[in-house]
Amino acid sequence: MTSFEDLKSYVDLAGDYSKDKIEGSIIRGSVSTGSQIRFSQNSIDIGKRWKTLKLEMFFIIEGTKTGFSERYVTSEDTVREAVDDTITFSKRLPDSQFFTGVESKISEYRDLSGNYDDKIDDFTDQAPQLVNSAIDAAVSEGAKRVAGALKFSKGQSYFLSSYGPSGSSKHTQFDLNVRAFQDELDYSGQGLDCGTKPTKSEKSMIAAGKEAGRLSKEAIGAKQGEPGTYDVVMNPTVAANVIGQLPDRANPFVVMIGMSPLGDKMGEQIGPDFITVTDNPWIPNGLRSQAYDFEGTPTRQNEIISNGVLKLFVQNTSTATMFDTETTGNSEILGMGSGVKMLLPNTTNLVFDNGDRTVEELLESSKPTIYVTSNWYMRFQNYQSGDFSTIPRDAMFLIEKGEKKPIKNLRISDNTMRMFANIDALGNDRKQIMWWEVDTPTFIPSMRIKDCRMTAATQ
Amino acid sequence: MIQLKDGKDLAEYCVEYGRGLGASYVESRFEKKYAMGLAYRNGEPISGGMAPSNGIGVRILVDGNMGFASFDGLEKETAHLAIDSAVKMAKSAKRKDPIDLGEPVSNKAKWEVPVKESLLDIDLETLMATANDLNKEMEGLASYTMVLNPYVSEKYIVTSEGSEVEGLLSFLNIFTIMSAKGKVGTEQRYVNLTQTGGWERIIDGKIVETLAREVVALKKTAEHAEKLDYLLDQPVDFIVGPEVAGIIAHENVGHPSEGDRIMGREGAQAGESFWRDLKLGESRVGSEHVNVSEDPTIPFTGGFYLYDDECVKSRNRVLIKDGIITEPLLNREFGVKFGMGTNASARSTGYNREPLIRMANTFFEPGDFSFEELVEDVKLGIYMCSFNEWNIDDRRYQSKYTGSEAYVIKNGEITETMVKAPVFETTSVGMLSAVDGVSKEKRLEFPATCGKSDPMQGIPVNAGGGQIRFRAIKLGGVG
Repeated sequence: MTSFEDLKSYVDLAGDYSKDKIEGSIIRGSVSTGSQIRFSQNSIDIGKRWKTLKLEMFFIIEGTKTGFSERYVTSEDTVREAVDDTITFSKRLPDSQFFTGVESKISEYRDLSGNYDDKIDDFTDQAPQLVNSAIDAAVSEGAKRVAGALKFSKGQSYFLSSYGPSGSSKHTQFDLNVRAFQDELDYSGQGLDCGTKPTKSEKSMIAAGKEAGRLSKEAIGAKQGEPGTYDVVMNPTVAANVIGQLPDRANPFVVMIGMSPLGDKMGEQIGPDFITVTDNPWIPNGLRSQAYDFEGTPTRQNEIISNGVLKLFVQNTSTATMFDTETTGNSEILGMGSGVKMLLPNTTNLVFDNGDRTVEELLESSKPTIYVTSNWYMRFQNYQSGDFSTIPRDAMFLIEKGEKKPIKNLRISDNTMRMFANIDALGNDRKQIMWWEVDTPTFIPSMRIKDCRMTAATQ
Repeated sequence: MIQLKDGKDLAEYCVEYGRGLGASYVESRFEKKYAMGLAYRNGEPISGGMAPSNGIGVRILVDGNMGFASFDGLEKETAHLAIDSAVKMAKSAKRKDPIDLGEPVSNKAKWEVPVKESLLDIDLETLMATANDLNKEMEGLASYTMVLNPYVSEKYIVTSEGSEVEGLLSFLNIFTIMSAKGKVGTEQRYVNLTQTGGWERIIDGKIVETLAREVVALKKTAEHAEKLDYLLDQPVDFIVGPEVAGIIAHENVGHPSEGDRIMGREGAQAGESFWRDLKLGESRVGSEHVNVSEDPTIPFTGGFYLYDDECVKSRNRVLIKDGIITEPLLNREFGVKFGMGTNASARSTGYNREPLIRMANTFFEPGDFSFEELVEDVKLGIYMCSFNEWNIDDRRYQSKYTGSEAYVIKNGEITETMVKAPVFETTSVGMLSAVDGVSKEKRLEFPATCGKSDPMQGIPVNAGGGQIRFRAIKLGGVG
């Protein structure tokens, strides 16, 4: 069985073996063990365990001719075979129009070991009981049926760049999704929790169960909502998806392929002055916290939106050269299909500044206001204009004349730029969100957005 | 390179090992995959890569509790650790209601996606030449990004009940994201041109021609489509083309028919289903013109398979007959719960994922009308050939499809007037009940990747139908 120490020696071997054959390389070896417990109808459906090991090789053959491959390796022979295969394959590729170089400075890296859960190995035994406690918490708050998933993992990686940088890191993480239902299909609620230290998160996991149960009960009797224009209060789950995706598109590659509305907005006021969003790779508990990027550039905190003004796109060495700026330490190898990966800029943890209002204060308004607690299926009609729609799911409420009533079956059909500009107030309840609908860990509070367009089925 | 025989041997060993630990059922699936690909932006190469992979996934049942473990590489020691942990996790579940897989299944079979010219034999130069041909078709657009990504996957499934099934999958994934400049801003479209089979599908699947047609339609839409407020003033008739019929068959019919959703197992992820409160064989969800089937046995489709990942022989499933729901999609576990037995719907996206109930190819069965007959008695309506933005709630009841290429129909004729982004926003039953005619065509050329579960399993499917007419639809949109 290949250990992490074996894998490190394989990374070194791949670097050494390839160095006289090509211009340069970045090689990363990683091992991880992940587990998941899935549950529904108040019972555990399945327990899963994954073990993975991979060697990722990014080769610069000559100039801008690059290639990528990843695979499992078990011996020095398989490492040499992997290097030879990748070089042979990459030599036949055309020059990349999206590569200008990689990091060449050797740096000291920040110590982020405080994010690691040293007791992660004990968690496998604790997890089933914790799942049952979260289910019980939901039921105690009034849920009839509870479903969800608890996932947790640990991993280690080591990288070596032929241009100088090298480093190793380890990480742990977890995410819990609890969804509670009444007997009826229409009355449900959701609670989420995620972070890097599962053994220290019992309270917050049980709180997620409680929140799901409470919301499912509060949703009882939900009536068909009326389409129209409303002020909308989004909890952190919804805000992370609908609003958080905008700074996530402050990325030159995303702009260049036509999937961002931010291409011509640099330096413009795109939101109110109390909105500041930072790409923060050092934040405690951040699921993508990291000391260095794929190229070995030390990470740094980057303000993407500062007091409502778009200030920065995340960059790697190549895009920084293309746009005559400097790398922001955001280089990563990202998938573009099965087996196709590319060196691109990527956000780490998106962190919105926290606000100062309670949710109750956000809901206080002279106008009819809708409170949305979860959503899914966000789809764009046009990524450049930002026109989209998404469907609230779980508990949703209409607050009118001081009264809060459950409603259902409405759709947010609006525009991300318009909504970002219309953020009216921020809650003081910032939390990290990453779940099915949110890929980038996003620390975000509840928020109120003026004049949102809600639609509904016409028949 | 790992040989298939080594993987089969270890898969069989995993079954023995799992049985030795007290599992009442063990299913071991070895998969070996080779993927390569090229990515282009505006015709220029931006990336290329390859990824050979292999591994084994083992699903076990212990005292009615389910466990799953996967590992890459082929080492017995790793297999032991993985299966030990799967058994331990299963035991800790302590279900009050034990999982029952029903009657044992012991099939021995070998099946393959029909292939004339293996994708493994295609050299990079040929792939690049084809990419150039496709890129040429998109010249003149404001921007276009394309990924060309062939992959081949061999799998071998062996179970403690005596099943041994070998399968070969072969896909040529082709995706493009295109933007065309309009009078104001751009018009965008994501096009999936994926083919199932060998390299011959480039020609047989008419990839270049299809892409050329898409580019022309997108440019035309960007230049000519306009918001037409008068269409919002009254209900209008809607005729949708095979692509839109396909997404409706998939989202409004296929998903709610999944047995695991109906019984709540996907509650926290893909959601539940409005079919839960209906009666099979009795409940009407559409007009008598609505007949929807689900068939994994159709060659050259994304959902093609002859045995599912529980080694059950596949067959056609009739989801809706004459507007009435008839049969849900089921695997062995939910076949028992429904008292109907499995209908071979279990699939996984790779060795490291559990098999789940999945759609294969979902489509409206042909009706009695020609396309011309559908159009000729429409006084005022819309012909929606394609869509871009869409979504549906997690009970699969409230859906929205926004048109891309769409024309006004007036007095029985499709006009040259293009309508910008008409919104078809209805409930599943409201929509299917408005069907009053389906064309005689059966077209399944809409390939897609269907997402479900956590971790996400994006699986290839096809969908389609002919043209469908919906009467008196009030257009949706901004309230």
